Amino acid sequence: MAKVMIWDLPLRLFHWLMVATVAIAGITGFVAPAAWLDIHLFAGYALAILLAFRLAWGVLGSYYSRFRSFPLAPRSAFRHLRSLLRNSAAAHTGHNPVGAWMIIAVLFLLLALVLSGLIVLGGQENLGPLGFLVDFQTGWRAAALHEIAAWGLAGAIAVHLLGVFVEARLLRHPVVSAMITGNKLVTRAKAKGQGRSYKARGLTLFTIAALMLLGGGKMLASIPASGWKPVQTPAVYSAECGDCHDAYHPSLRTAASWRGIMSGLSDHYGEDASLDAETAAAMGAFLAANAAETFDTEAAWRMGRIDTKSLRITDTPYWTARHAGIADGVFKLSSVGSKVNCNGCHRDAASGRFADQDIHLPNLSKLPNGSQK
Amino acid sequence: MKIRIIVPLHPKLIIAVLALSLLPIQGSASELRQQIIAGFAQDAKLKNSGFAGFSAGRGQTLFLSKPATGKPDTPSCTTCHSINPAAKGQTRAGKEIAPMAVSKTPERFTDSKKVEKWFRRNCKSVLGRICTALEKGDFVTFMSNQ
Ligand code: HEC
Ligand code: HEC
Ligand code: HEC
Repeated sequence: MAKVMIWDLPLRLFHWLMVATVAIAGITGFVAPAAWLDIHLFAGYALAILLAFRLAWGVLGSYYSRFRSFPLAPRSAFRHLRSLLRNSAAAHTGHNPVGAWMIIAVLFLLLALVLSGLIVLGGQENLGPLGFLVDFQTGWRAAALHEIAAWGLAGAIAVHLLGVFVEARLLRHPVVSAMITGNKLVTRAKAKGQGRSYKARGLTLFTIAALMLLGGGKMLASIPASGWKPVQTPAVYSAECGDCHDAYHPSLRTAASWRGIMSGLSDHYGEDASLDAETAAAMGAFLAANAAETFDTEAAWRMGRIDTKSLRITDTPYWTARHAGIADGVFKLSSVGSKVNCNGCHRDAASGRFADQDIHLPNLSKLPNGSQK
Repeated sequence: MKIRIIVPLHPKLIIAVLALSLLPIQGSASELRQQIIAGFAQDAKLKNSGFAGFSAGRGQTLFLSKPATGKPDTPSCTTCHSINPAAKGQTRAGKEIAPMAVSKTPERFTDSKKVEKWFRRNCKSVLGRICTALEKGDFVTFMSNQ
């Protein structure tokens, strides 16, 4: 028996970095508040680079890292499973046949997660490298895929951990220490050059993957988003409709709803907000030209296009669902004032984007005073 | 091309021109307010030949009263403007309103279009009718003294 380097250093680093980024992405994706999207995206971009590296390493890495060395014949996988049941499976120098399939599945799921994530980001938030390409509905469908893949990955990780447990505890193969030191005790080393650590090659490949993805991603992300357009807001609109509450982005209502609001200003949610006809007409044209129908954003689809009897944005089911967890007192804080002041919490409300990263809850330590009002 | 100076640039002249150009800006806020009050006075006289000037006291009464003849959510001017004219108010949607007292907000009642717009809206919301020229003049006179 001889101690031989089976897992080269780049592969081991990849493995543990992936564990860390998947953990961060998982936590921020499943349980963290929406405002943490930035961290989730950061983990996603890191995963994309790691994945690109791993795919390249599967061709250019050391023997046991290469996909060609994976024992993928279905028959050997069944044989391995059967021997597992008899509690007598032999130790494998590289991956065992079931483990190899597992890795293929995990890599495939991660790829699906990264790609669907980019599509969601581009379609729903009009952000990221695919913002210029993907429409909202596609982003919407990709969100379902993203979630399925995430649960699939969670399942795959559970099976992987079970496999490691079986190997390490029941069969007493030291697979965990092997993924840390890289070494395994083997009778015959199959491949030449296994002792080499492949450090320089790994670093080079990783750098190339990172530079290519970051550079390309940045370039694509700089192309204007497809569903969102900057709006030239006339000063008269911000002034006249911003006196009592923040002026709303025109994409938050349909042209018909805006007409309804503009023609009912003398009885506007319990107040007279009437305007002279000339001013009202100028604003009506601006609102109609930039109404929800002209935007392909999440806000325009889930709220803007949904007409309500009250004409309120805050009566759309989507708005109520997304804000159900916010205590009344939070809306009454002096920095917000009321639920109708979207700017109080959405730093990008004026742009109509309503990106998760730009949600900024006010200072909640002031809550007790605010909620008494 | 040669620029010929026709008027000699005497230092005293420069100072005089500067002072003149500054004057209207300094005087403008209260002047504009006076013009607006004068307009109300003219209208008040047309309505009632016995009109004998505006009263800050009547303005205060209007401001503090609770007529509740308008929309249910706005029983009084003080619903939004603070009871204390020198303090900030708040719209029903929670946005800050600068104090109505001219001493605190010097640009109050200087844009006649704005003044008319808000009197129209707020009187309808609170009183359920438009305000008379007398009420408007009283109100602005009251706030000008605050
Ligand atoms: C005189 C004050 C005032 C002015 C001016 C005003 N609004 Fe409002 N608006 C209100 C109040 C009060 C509400 C209800 C606030 C609440 O429910 O907390 C409201 C609510 C709204 C809502 C519904 C918000 C929701 O709940 O989804 C829309 C839309 C709206 N305003 C549009 C406009 C537009 C467009 C203009 C400009 C033409 C305008 N407002 C000008 C006082 C005003
Ligand atoms: C008191 C703060 C607050 C106010 C005011 C507020 N929001 Fe939000 N909003 C939030 C929070 C927090 C979330 C994230 C909820 C979650 O985690 O699902 C959110 C989520 C959203 C989302 C989903 C964002 C996404 O990309 O998933 C939209 C769209 C949105 N709000 C629109 C509005 C509009 C329109 C208004 C004004 C009529 C408004 N909000 C007022 C706090 C606020
Ligand atoms: C529903 C809230 C509300 C009520 C009630 C209300 N106001 Fe106002 N008022 C406002 C807002 C908002 C403004 C504009 C904000 C600003 O100018 O800072 C304003 C402005 C004004 C202005 C114009 C000030 C200027 O600088 O030109 C006048 C005049 C005025 N209000 C008079 C009244 C009177 C008189 C009453 C009672 C009959 C009243 N308001 C009641 C909200 C209200």
